[in-house]
Amino acid sequence: MHGPEHLVGLRVVATPAVLDATVWPATATVLRLAADDAFVINAATVDVADEHAIIEAETAFVGWELSPSEFEQSFHRHLEWQVPPQRPVFAQGLAAAVPVKFWVQHDSVLVICTAAHAHELAERCHLPHHPQAAR
Amino acid sequence: MNYDPPMRFALDNQPIEFAEGDSVAMAVVRAGEHPQHGGALCLTGDCGNCSADVDGTPWSRTCLTPARPGLTVRRHPAIGAPALQLAAPANPTQSPRHSAIDVARVHTDLVVIGAGRSGTAEVATARAAGRDVIVLDGKTGHDVVGVYPGPLVIVRLNGAAGDGLMHVHGHEVVIATGSADLHPVCDGNMLRGILTQGAAAQLRASGVELPDAIEVDLADLVRFDGVDGWISAVVTSDGTTHPCRTAVVTSALRAPRDLLARMTAEPAVRVVGSAATAYDLPASPTSGSVCPCSKINVEDLQGVWDRGFQHIELVKRAALCGTGTCQGAVCMPHLRAFVTEKSGAPAAPFTGRPASRQLTIAEAAAEVYLDAFRRSPLHFEHIALGAQMDRFGGWWRPWNYGDHVAEYWAVREGVSLGDVSTLGKMVVSGPDAVAALERIYPTTIADIRPGRSRYVLLLNERGHLIDDGMVCRESDTRFVLTFTSGGAAFAEMWMRDWVETWNLDVHILDRTLSLGAINVTGPLAGELLRRVGVEDAPKFLQHRHADVAGVPCHVMRLSFTGEASFELHHPITHSVELWRELMAAGRDLGIMPHGLQALFGLRLEKGHVIVGMDSELDSSPRRLNMEWAVKMDKPDFIGRTALSRVADLPDHRRLFGLTMDGTAPIEGAPIYGTGVHAGDIVGHVASSFNSPLLGKAVMLGWQKHSPFTDTVIIDGREAHVTETPFYDQAGARARA
Repeated sequence: MHGPEHLVGLRVVATPAVLDATVWPATATVLRLAADDAFVINAATVDVADEHAIIEAETAFVGWELSPSEFEQSFHRHLEWQVPPQRPVFAQGLAAAVPVKFWVQHDSVLVICTAAHAHELAERCHLPHHPQAAR
Repeated sequence: MNYDPPMRFALDNQPIEFAEGDSVAMAVVRAGEHPQHGGALCLTGDCGNCSADVDGTPWSRTCLTPARPGLTVRRHPAIGAPALQLAAPANPTQSPRHSAIDVARVHTDLVVIGAGRSGTAEVATARAAGRDVIVLDGKTGHDVVGVYPGPLVIVRLNGAAGDGLMHVHGHEVVIATGSADLHPVCDGNMLRGILTQGAAAQLRASGVELPDAIEVDLADLVRFDGVDGWISAVVTSDGTTHPCRTAVVTSALRAPRDLLARMTAEPAVRVVGSAATAYDLPASPTSGSVCPCSKINVEDLQGVWDRGFQHIELVKRAALCGTGTCQGAVCMPHLRAFVTEKSGAPAAPFTGRPASRQLTIAEAAAEVYLDAFRRSPLHFEHIALGAQMDRFGGWWRPWNYGDHVAEYWAVREGVSLGDVSTLGKMVVSGPDAVAALERIYPTTIADIRPGRSRYVLLLNERGHLIDDGMVCRESDTRFVLTFTSGGAAFAEMWMRDWVETWNLDVHILDRTLSLGAINVTGPLAGELLRRVGVEDAPKFLQHRHADVAGVPCHVMRLSFTGEASFELHHPITHSVELWRELMAAGRDLGIMPHGLQALFGLRLEKGHVIVGMDSELDSSPRRLNMEWAVKMDKPDFIGRTALSRVADLPDHRRLFGLTMDGTAPIEGAPIYGTGVHAGDIVGHVASSFNSPLLGKAVMLGWQKHSPFTDTVIIDGREAHVTETPFYDQAGARARA
């Protein structure tokens, strides 16, 4: 278990159909936070066919990379909701009353929360937290 | 030779021997005692008549508590509640958030509560269909505390099931809790030695002898006679007196055990079997204790009925019948019978309230967290500078850095930095952006030119202030909005709801947690910005993007402190770097940061209102003297209809600027009237500050009785209504 690290990417808000049709950079991880809202990790630019789209560099989030067993150990007591069983899957909700997002893959889970909340999530779910790294 | 010493626990400091498998209540009865001071025992957890303090936890159902060596059981007092057991004072240096009570979370397709015939049938059907099923039954240590919306079933674990709590989330919940024996209600029903037929069967099966026991049918029962608190005879309807020491009350009637079913009306919760069965009511009680938990007798019910509380919900609330530890499990049939007979109409059961079992504070609070308070990206800079941090608007913020007066003077005479990262920040873009904002805000939006900004109020449909902030126009179709720190999350929801309601083509992105913001303020603020590379700083109420000390910033010129101010909005990853560069560049200018304590005073000298601190839930712009920020000639905006309807009506509330000599009164201090209001409290102080510059107290305070007066009394001293701003009325310093 290590982290948290600042997640660098783009925030893209556009009409849902446009986001559905957008071709994302091959190296990017695209997390659809909402129908009209995508967080694109590891992307510096993106072409979106919506002249009014909001495209901003996003630095609000930090992430912890956990193994599935570490994820289970840290979060099984803190979720009042069930993480969908399919893999990969993106899920959002509260963990120990802190807003979180999970990017769950077969062999790892990226736990995402805002830097502003990171200290609370770390303390409540016993995650490592290095204040200077996640400010 | 094997020798097994008897197993004992203590009841009121007296040893009680028990047998393997006994509950505490069963062992107490076996010893010829009663766990309380009287009342029929059911030994199924339905009633509270066996409740006692077990190992310091009062109101424990002793019939559900397995007996074990060393337990300390204390009867509750015969009158009044058990004494509150105070724990040792908490150590304030330790985090209170980690509970010693373990909470397990379980998700399943189906939760079946009750392992009787109906429950077992449900389980078999579901499992045959391949569904995942969890069965909860008190006999296996799963004591269901409540059924909540979700549906969520909260369970207390004991015995073989372990310790702690379990939150069971099911797609469906089936309540199959069966039915329960009726408790008798008549004179003498709180004596000791009375058992339901189920309790008697349990005790006999466990080898407990019931001395001089007789059975009496509920329908034949007239009263119990007693000596020294114990039953001595039963009187039946044929006038016969039956001497006995134990009475087993039998009845053909049974009541559904429906307390859990009455807790939620969720469609995903089904009630099956006896728990769902309609039942005949017993005869209306004429005497005796109806609700042993709350100690309510028939005379109490008659009293509230005679006072006009003639509905079962009203009788319940007025008499407290059914509000005790068993939540009506015992008294419901009798209360329904009473109300049905009195009213002539069938009385339906009332709603059940969790918890069905008494929880300790530790259990109720287990794994319950406070809202998370956010940290600004500059949190550790503030701490390194000696800040006293406190919680405001959902954030940890610096209250002061040790000397708020020095911080105040740095703003008024030099230059200072304030961390305003907590402000709400939002981007709005789209072809309908102007149309949306024109309807959202009471201010004109269309005439704001790109590069310009405007102060705005946010009103609700009633025309009451809910937030305020700035509108910065970036292009014809793109705006940056700011909101208060505490109002940002609501503002986003508000905006999205309205834009969707109006079906406008607008994109919204909340940037509150993505962007830090530093307010550079003071007469030397422009000079500081020049030193860090901003040669062409925006003029008052203008904004532009610029690199500041190499950090890409959105620079907004405004003023909350009353001095020239530049808010530098920037990515949070650069906050520390930018803060340190600014502090270093301003060292010879006497730069220092200011906290909220200084800021609250600085803005108060300017008469700026803080939403939620100076405003109230029903504060209209007129009441706040802010009608200048409302353009009633606009065709439409949220709140316009309400404001136009009351525009010509007299109003009796107004926020005033006030000044007085001497020390400022505390915020919240009552304001007394003069003249026709002499001696009356006419309002309160919303904000107060000892102004170092003006040498007197300045305040914002409410008068809520007209006619308003120019002189009021606060803290026994005269205070005078004074036009705001108190400082720099022309606003020259902010524009400098």
